[in-house]
Amino acid sequence: METDRSASTPERQPLLRVRGLGKSYRRKGAGWARTDVIVAASEVEFEIFAGQTLALVGSSGSGKSTVARCVTRLEKPDVGHVWLQGADIAHLGFSDLRPFRHELQMVFQDPATSMNPRFTAAEIIEEPLIIQRPGDKSAHRVRAKELMQEVGVSPQWANRPAMEFSGGQRQRLAIARALALKPKLLVLDEALSGLDLSTEAQIANLLLDLQASHSLAYLLISHDLALVARLADMIAVMAHGRIVEQGPVAQVMANAGHSETRALVASARVAQANLAALGAAL
Amino acid sequence: MKYAARRALRAVVLLFGVSVLCFLFTEMAPGSFFDEMRLNPQISPETISGLRARYGLDQPLLVRYSRWLTSVVNGDLGFSVAYNSPVAPLLWSRALNTLLLTTTAMLLTWLMGVPLGVWSAAYRGRWLDRVVEAGNSLLISIPEIVIALALLALAVRSRVVPIGGMISIGHEDLSGAGKVNDILRHLLLPTAILVLAGIAIVIRHVRASVVEVLDAPFVRAGRGLGIGRTRLLFRHVLPVAASPAISLFGFSIASLLSGSLLVEIITGWPGLGPLLLDATLARDVYLVIGGIIVSAVFMIAGNFIADLMLLVADPRIGTGGLNEE
Amino acid sequence: MKNKSRVRSVILLLVGLHAVVLFAGFFSPYDAKEQDRNLPYVPPSRLHFTGRTGFHFRPFVYASAADVDGYREDPAEEYPVQFFVRGNSYSLLGVIESDLHWFGVRRPARIMLLGADGFGRDEFSRLLFGGQISLAAGLLATFLTLATAAVIGTVSGFYGGWIDESLMGTSELFLSLPWLYFLLGVRAFLPLHVSPAGTFLLLIAVIGVIGWARPARLVRGVVLSARTRNYVSAARGFGGSDLYLLRRHILPETFGVLLTQAALLVPLYVAAEATLSFFGLGVSEPVPSWGNMLASLQQYSVIVSYVWLLAPAAALVVTSVIYAMLADALHSVKSQ
Repeated sequence: METDRSASTPERQPLLRVRGLGKSYRRKGAGWARTDVIVAASEVEFEIFAGQTLALVGSSGSGKSTVARCVTRLEKPDVGHVWLQGADIAHLGFSDLRPFRHELQMVFQDPATSMNPRFTAAEIIEEPLIIQRPGDKSAHRVRAKELMQEVGVSPQWANRPAMEFSGGQRQRLAIARALALKPKLLVLDEALSGLDLSTEAQIANLLLDLQASHSLAYLLISHDLALVARLADMIAVMAHGRIVEQGPVAQVMANAGHSETRALVASARVAQANLAALGAAL
Repeated sequence: MKYAARRALRAVVLLFGVSVLCFLFTEMAPGSFFDEMRLNPQISPETISGLRARYGLDQPLLVRYSRWLTSVVNGDLGFSVAYNSPVAPLLWSRALNTLLLTTTAMLLTWLMGVPLGVWSAAYRGRWLDRVVEAGNSLLISIPEIVIALALLALAVRSRVVPIGGMISIGHEDLSGAGKVNDILRHLLLPTAILVLAGIAIVIRHVRASVVEVLDAPFVRAGRGLGIGRTRLLFRHVLPVAASPAISLFGFSIASLLSGSLLVEIITGWPGLGPLLLDATLARDVYLVIGGIIVSAVFMIAGNFIADLMLLVADPRIGTGGLNEE
Repeated sequence: MKNKSRVRSVILLLVGLHAVVLFAGFFSPYDAKEQDRNLPYVPPSRLHFTGRTGFHFRPFVYASAADVDGYREDPAEEYPVQFFVRGNSYSLLGVIESDLHWFGVRRPARIMLLGADGFGRDEFSRLLFGGQISLAAGLLATFLTLATAAVIGTVSGFYGGWIDESLMGTSELFLSLPWLYFLLGVRAFLPLHVSPAGTFLLLIAVIGVIGWARPARLVRGVVLSARTRNYVSAARGFGGSDLYLLRRHILPETFGVLLTQAALLVPLYVAAEATLSFFGLGVSEPVPSWGNMLASLQQYSVIVSYVWLLAPAAALVVTSVIYAMLADALHSVKSQ
């Protein structure tokens, strides 16, 4: 296990450091053609410091989800390093990853599929606790209810099946579940994409509050630049599997260098304008 | 063509698999089998040692298998203890009788079942269709042995058809047409049982697939265009609905073979059934295995034919455009 | 919900059927093995309501006396049907001893609701006791098949790769053998004369082992689709092991399929037991099963003259129909 020796500054090590990350997929070509190789991500590099939010943006197919899945080790990267607090988790085996599960958790895009519909709210939240520390059921249940409270879902509904909650509430439960192991970094993979605007705003506020109270770092995957502007400190723009531009949010968005960035900013502005026009018309 | 080749390959692989299974069967009780043979005074020690050498029981497994396989392919299916004769000739005539029964039953089942299924789909919802469907569901539930016994009881009490065997006494004295007629009359009862046992599921599946097609947009478009009902049914609906029905064909071969075993024993039709039952009761190993091989060959061949029919009915399959499985 | 209540009422019917069979000792007036050599093939007892003292609600029977061409009723004495009588002792589930019977008549008369067989044994009692064997065989064999199918299907669907391919290839092999031939084949290799208990277990093993292929494929399908769900990935992300994922998320998805398959398989296997016993390859005398009770019907003279001996066939039909109703009801619940 390599330790990261090239720290940015001696006093302040990044929480997460990614270097040279690459992943390709083999896809069976149509008919009898030989298999195609699709490069989903290549030469990806970035850093996230504690309490900071890095947004990874790009159009669909740019590779952002692949990066998210590689960082959380839902998939194994082909090449590269992923240093989490100085330890390289990029190529560790399943059991070796166990201690790192506490540090790093993911919130998925679609709460309907990311949680077992037969589970109750409490069962969903306590699942990571039960997996990591089996046996202490009542304590886990208490903690689950605390977390429900914290994300704004009434603990009274702890025994309701997940199906019965609204989309926004389910996403809150997903966040609560992600917080159960007290991670330092949350990966939000398009976590607010399926929500309506007012719910999205509420969840965004919730995320900001949680970040402040738990000094969480976020890796925010999104295609919505307005949201990014709201939540993120740093931004990295991806296109065709590579990062094409990186830097502080305000700076990158104001002076977009790469064509991809400009295109994203432009479409965001159009969306904003439409929204404003709609607001004016109503 | 590729599809047919693939299906042929699969059939061959299955045959291999069956052969391995049957071979393992022979391996499972050779010791006791030969011990039993030794106790049988009718079989000389020379025959036994000859058989042992021929089957190379002292050789490694793979060698034994390849030897066994070669002899099977050459038509040598072993030796029957109970009948004191090689297995293959014993099976041959019986297999033909079984083939006669099963093909007749298969033809009748489908010739009657398909129109009934189509007809009930075309008139779905009306009270007649409901009655047919209820009766059909009941028929599907009734176990084959019950149908067999019920029809047997009916036949014996009413004395309408001859029961038992394939030919009557004095068959040889009949004219050519008379002989055929005699066999057909004996065929009636076992065929009736098999058809009754199998037709219900054919009707249900044909009805279901026709209904599915009738609800399809292209049919409704045709109706909108004013295409007449019968023309619609036969020129447009039937070809599309045919494919699932033909897939059923492959499956029904298996149940038909098992069913024929039962029916032959109960009605006394001289097919593989009664022979195999006696063989099982006598623990006549090679005869039983020979029967399994023959039935498996019938089955795999039948399925292959069904696959080919599927190709004819739905050419899309041949181009590999559809996903297999 | 209309469909759920349908399932419930069918299950009630099933429970009723199985309960009557389970408590055969109570519901039947006689022991299955009790012979009356004076009364072979006696037809079903007729219940009379009007006797010498006129009409009364309690039915009675006459004793049967041998006649020139069969039997006639001997009007000399009336034997009223009594309920909750003391009779032969039997043991419930092999544990509790009792001698209480639901109904009976005073000796030497006999109440044989479904007549008697060639040994003068009460067909009705034999039907109930025979049901114990036949239904138990069906249920146990189904359990065996589904347990095998669940394991194989899960392993195949979850791990994929060459394990999946070889298991599914084997399943296709099993599917391509006609089941009865295969059954005979397996049966031929097993010793023919074992103890009744041994035969019974053998029967269950043979029937149960044959049918795993189709349910295994269905289970595999369910497992395949469940495996790729996001919540399974999420659980893995928390560090869930394979065993945990299977136990907590994937296997519960298979229960629906297994249940519907059970409803389809039980009547099939009950019929299979009946068929095998009918041929003499299953449970043998004197233990009754619906199959070997029907075996005497292979003689054409029997099937012509003594129709009441077809009772086990009717029992088979009733069983199959009720299970078919269950399968149907389950199907409509699933698709709603």
